[in-house]
Amino acid sequence: MSKNENTSKRHMGIKAANRLSNGFIYALLVIISVIWLIPFVFILLQSFRVESTNQVGYVIPRQWGLQNYKNLWTSDFKRWYLNTFIISLASAVLVTVIQLCMSYTLSRFRFKLRGPLMRFMLILGMFPGMLTMIILYRVLADLGLTQANAVPGLILVGFASSGMGYYVSKGFFDTIPKSLDEAARVDGATRLQVLYKIILPLAKPIVIYTILTAFMGPWGDYVFARYVAFGTSAGYNVAVGMYSWLTNDQINNWYTTFCAGGVIVAVPVTILFLCLQKYYVEGVTGGAVKG
Amino acid sequence: MASVKLTNVKKIYDKNVVAVHDFNLEIKDKEFVVFVGPSGCGKSTTLRMIAGLEEISDGTVEIDGEVVNDLQPKDRGIAMVFQNYALYPHMSVYDNIAFSLRLKKLPEDQIYERVTNAAEILGITEYLMRKPRALSGGQRQRVAIGRAMVRDSKVFLMDEPLSNLDAKLRNQMRAEIILLRQKLDTTFIYVTHDQTEAMTLADRIVIMKDGFIMQVGTPDEVFDMPDNLFVAEFIGAPKMNIIKTKLLEENGKYYVTPFGAKIEVDGDKGKALADRKVKSGDVLLGVRPEHIELAKAAAPHAIPCKLVVDEMMGSELHLHVDTEDGNRLIVRVPTLDLDKEQRKALVTGAQLYITFEGKAMHLFDPESEKNLLA
Repeated sequence: MSKNENTSKRHMGIKAANRLSNGFIYALLVIISVIWLIPFVFILLQSFRVESTNQVGYVIPRQWGLQNYKNLWTSDFKRWYLNTFIISLASAVLVTVIQLCMSYTLSRFRFKLRGPLMRFMLILGMFPGMLTMIILYRVLADLGLTQANAVPGLILVGFASSGMGYYVSKGFFDTIPKSLDEAARVDGATRLQVLYKIILPLAKPIVIYTILTAFMGPWGDYVFARYVAFGTSAGYNVAVGMYSWLTNDQINNWYTTFCAGGVIVAVPVTILFLCLQKYYVEGVTGGAVKG
Repeated sequence: MASVKLTNVKKIYDKNVVAVHDFNLEIKDKEFVVFVGPSGCGKSTTLRMIAGLEEISDGTVEIDGEVVNDLQPKDRGIAMVFQNYALYPHMSVYDNIAFSLRLKKLPEDQIYERVTNAAEILGITEYLMRKPRALSGGQRQRVAIGRAMVRDSKVFLMDEPLSNLDAKLRNQMRAEIILLRQKLDTTFIYVTHDQTEAMTLADRIVIMKDGFIMQVGTPDEVFDMPDNLFVAEFIGAPKMNIIKTKLLEENGKYYVTPFGAKIEVDGDKGKALADRKVKSGDVLLGVRPEHIELAKAAAPHAIPCKLVVDEMMGSELHLHVDTEDGNRLIVRVPTLDLDKEQRKALVTGAQLYITFEGKAMHLFDPESEKNLLA
């Protein structure tokens, strides 16, 4: 009996220890989340502050209103937003198509120099994109795709090298048994039909992951977008355009409008993520382990 | 329904690894041919070349008289069942079976008719709306067969369709494949590494090793008259006992002398040896375990040995015995042949005597490993 008591005591001890460590972990996570959320909450609150447009030393607005959002509507913001949206959408479509075709090819076809090509692209991808900025600008300038024409220029830059990002999706495709392709081909499917009737439905997480990352890249782009637009407002994307409101002589006129713009910029991305987060997590980890 | 003809078919990987050497075979219309051999013998590769999933390095494959070397799998008029079923996991059983018909753009009502018809034959009607992952291994394999059935193809290819199933299910599915064959009445090419499947299913068996055909023949032929040592050991379970011994020719009669015994090669085999004027010399003697009998000590030519392992298989016993000079032989004894006393006496270390008849013997040349009588 005393033995039983001992065991149950020990069990109690483990339970208590578990509860304690769980409590600690949750407390830590809550603190981290709060710290993370502060800037978002701050910007959201500032975007509804209408008593002045300059920076102030408090967080809660004294007067609430939608004036800042109305300002966005009358400023160049509309144009920038549309520019960004076009670039992101075009890139999401083109990059996804090219990258998935590339990955399928590298996963399923065996051709000469396949190995060297894959290694070459992997190594090339390790160089930071910044290194290519100057030469890319020259090329785009020669093609007439800078400043007012920055949008097509940025789309071109976005998808031109997208095949090099084959790695994650190829890894995922590799886990889909080849005999499925073979069965489908015996059943009468062409290679293209195999891809979109068999492989893509099975690789849904990775397709969505590819779309998301392809959309997100240009959505938050700043450095290259600014470089290509080069001072022409018509070619700005949101990040570059809104930054022009933050210069020393502009900031006090535009600060709260800037915050409202920030909220609007976050909306589509947030919606996308809320709808697709399930797939996103699967996509990031799905290709890693053969299961 | 069609004949299949392979002429000098070769498969060479990376310019120097030869997987299949000069494969020549003519498969008749409605014939059931089984390719059998150990892993890596090229049987699956050959099948995949017929299917069009593997490029043909050299030679020609004809289906129904037409050279199909450069045709896509879908244009060859074949259907195939894969070892791992290869069902499309995101589609229901119905959609899996209907896939090829939809690609052919058949009207939905015809598709419905064909799919339900196949499902009925295979007994999977109640699972039609399920996804493959909700099915057991046997049911999945039925779906895979159903998918191949609805295509109305000329040749039915099966690549080790039963090897992912457990032993009991495998026996059951084997019988069902025989029934299926009767219903479909088409040409079958079946790949397996299991000689039992080959023996039970085939009209003709093609036994392969290292990319070469070792023998082509009916199950009876390959069992009774194996062309060479490899076929002799591969077909039959447990495998044939091989004993190094001498062949003696005395006055037109032939004897073998295993373990000091002197047994006459009588009957047709003795005559055949005489006809060929085979000379005395070293020989590899093959005797199937079921052709060895337990004998009393006094019996003529009885070979003394010791029991090492005793495997009770139910209807029969597999006795592993060591002869006096250390050869390990396997003897297959029907349980019914033994009375209680005899059964009791079969303990490890027991002294036994074995014997076998001349007509049960297979003789191979020790150098070429070819059957002396083939």
